[in-house]
Amino acid sequence: MKAVEVDGLTKVYGRGTRALDGIGFSVDEGEIFGLLGPNGAGKSTTIKVLTTLIRPTSGTARVFGTDVLQHPQQVRQMMGYVPQAISVDGDLTGYENLLIFSKLFYVEKSERRARIDEALEFMQLAERADDLVKHYSGGMMRRLEIAQALVNRPRILFLDEPSIGLDPFSKNEVKSRVRELNRELNMTMIVTTHDMVEADEICDRVAIMNAGRIAVVDTPTRLKESVGGDIVTVRVPPATAAVSLPPDLGRLLSSEGGEMRILTQNGEEKIPRVIALLEAREVPIESISLAKPTLDDVFIKYAGSRVDQGRYVEARSERRNFARRGR
Amino acid sequence: MRSIASVVTVAEMEARKIRHDSTELWMRAIQPALWLLIFGEVLNSVKVLAPAGYSYMQYIAPGVLAQSVLFVAIFYGITIVWERDVGLLTKLLSTPSPRSSIVIGKALASAVRGVFQAVVIFALSLLLGIRLRFDPLDVLGVFGIVVMLSMCFSSFSMILASFLKTRDRMMGIGQVLTMPLFFASSAIYPISLMPYWLKYVAYVNPLSYVVDAMRSLLLTGDYSSVPLDLGALVVATVFFVGVASVVVKRLVQ
Repeated sequence: MKAVEVDGLTKVYGRGTRALDGIGFSVDEGEIFGLLGPNGAGKSTTIKVLTTLIRPTSGTARVFGTDVLQHPQQVRQMMGYVPQAISVDGDLTGYENLLIFSKLFYVEKSERRARIDEALEFMQLAERADDLVKHYSGGMMRRLEIAQALVNRPRILFLDEPSIGLDPFSKNEVKSRVRELNRELNMTMIVTTHDMVEADEICDRVAIMNAGRIAVVDTPTRLKESVGGDIVTVRVPPATAAVSLPPDLGRLLSSEGGEMRILTQNGEEKIPRVIALLEAREVPIESISLAKPTLDDVFIKYAGSRVDQGRYVEARSERRNFARRGR
Repeated sequence: MRSIASVVTVAEMEARKIRHDSTELWMRAIQPALWLLIFGEVLNSVKVLAPAGYSYMQYIAPGVLAQSVLFVAIFYGITIVWERDVGLLTKLLSTPSPRSSIVIGKALASAVRGVFQAVVIFALSLLLGIRLRFDPLDVLGVFGIVVMLSMCFSSFSMILASFLKTRDRMMGIGQVLTMPLFFASSAIYPISLMPYWLKYVAYVNPLSYVVDAMRSLLLTGDYSSVPLDLGALVVATVFFVGVASVVVKRLVQ
C-alpha cells in the first residue's frame, strides 16, 4: 500500500485562483517526499488537502488507503502536521503543550507521560520542558512543534516549511532530527520547502511544483543528472592553444580567454586526470574548480524560472516575535 | 465521551494559561470595579432607578457582573483570530478531535475567564458592603449563568471572527456591539424607562434575560421569570455554538 496517493487534485479558490491544477503523485511508506517550489506553487495547499483542512475542488487523495474526503477523522488519527506558522502556545510550558495535544489525539491516560517524555527526549527538549514556550528560541519552538505531532505516534508526518525562519544552526538541528525520525521510526514524511539545499539533503524524492502543477518527480540525484553533468573549469594563460580531450574524460564545452570548461560526470574524480593531462602538454594551470548541478538548475529546467528566495527574508525575524507578543 | 474529553482539554488549556499569567484578567476587573465605585455611587442617590426596597448599588451589581462577563466574551474572537494567525488553530483542527468540540472547548475557555470575573465582582460586592443574597445554591446558579453567558457571546464572537478574519476588524466590531448590548438591556436601568423602540431591542437582547435571572437569584429571590430567562439564554447559546462549529473552518481556509 502506498502511504499517499493523489490523483487529479484541483483546488480553485473563491476568486478563481487555481492553487492546484490537477496534480497527481504517490509516496511510498518510509519515504521522505519533498514538495519543492516557490511561494504560491501550491505546496501548502497540497498539504492542507492531505491533512483534511481544506476540501479540494476535484480529485482524490488517500493516506494509507483512507480517503481524506470520506474519512477525515481517521486520516487525522494517523497523521502529524506541523504547519508553517507557529503552532505551539507561548503561554504554556513545553510539557503542557504536549500534554494538551496528547489529550486531543486521544492518547491513553496511562501512556501519555511516557509518550510526552519520549517526544521531548527525541527532540532534545527534556531539560526545558517546564519553561514557558515564549522563552524558547525559534529552533526550540520548531522542535517542540514536531514533538507535539509526535505524541500521536503518527504513521505519516506533514512538515510545512520546517526550517523557515531559523538560523543556520537551528536549521541543521531540525534537519538532523527529521532524518533520524525517518530512519529510526520508519516514519513517512511529506516536506514542503522552497530551499533547494534542504530538499537535496533530506528528501528521498522530490516533486518540483510551479503554479499549481507538478513539473517532475524523481530523486534529487537523478534530477540533477538530468540537467547534465558536472562542469570542471580550468584557468590557464590566455594564449594557450586548444587542448583535445580523450572522450572518457569529458567534453570540452569552450576554451577561450584562458578558461576551459569541461562537461563530465563525477567531476571530482576527473580533476586529477585533467591536471595530469595538462601538465603532460606543459600547460600551466592557474586554478581549477568544479561545479555540480543543483536542484536550482533542475528547477530552472523544469519550471522555467528561478525559485524566489528573497520573499522569505522577512518571515525569518517575525517568527519568534509572533509567539512572544502574547495576546 | 471522546468529544467531551476534547472540550474539557481545550478549556484546560485556557485554565493553565491563566494559572501562568492572570495579569490580563485582573486588569479586566478594573472596569466593572469603576462602574460600581463611580457610576453606582453617584447614581445611588437617584431613587427612581432601583425597585423599592433596594439601593441602586444592589440593583446594578448583577448588571455589572453580567456586563463584565459579556465584555470578556465578545472580544474572545480576537483570541481565535490570533490563534489562527499563528498556526495554533490549524493544528487544533488537524487533530482527530471533532471541530464542534474544539469550538465548544473554546467557548468554555472563555467561560473560565468569565467565572474569574464573577469571583472578583462578588469579592468587590462584599468589600463595598453591597447586600446580595449569598445563598450557596443561588450563587452556584449565577456561576452557571455566567458560564452559559460566556459561551453564548464567545461563540457569537467566533462566528464574527470567521467572517471578519482580522484582529483590527474584531476590535472595531466589538466596540460597536458592546455598548448597544449593554445600554439596551436592564443592566444599569429598568427597561420600563426606555423609549419604546429601545424596548424592542432590549427584549431580543440575551443580556436582558441574563441580568433578570441574576437579579432574581441575587436580589429578590423571586424565581417566577427565571425559566423564561434561562430558556432564552439556552436557545441563544445553542444557536450560536451550533453556527460557530460550522463556520469556524472558514478561518483556516
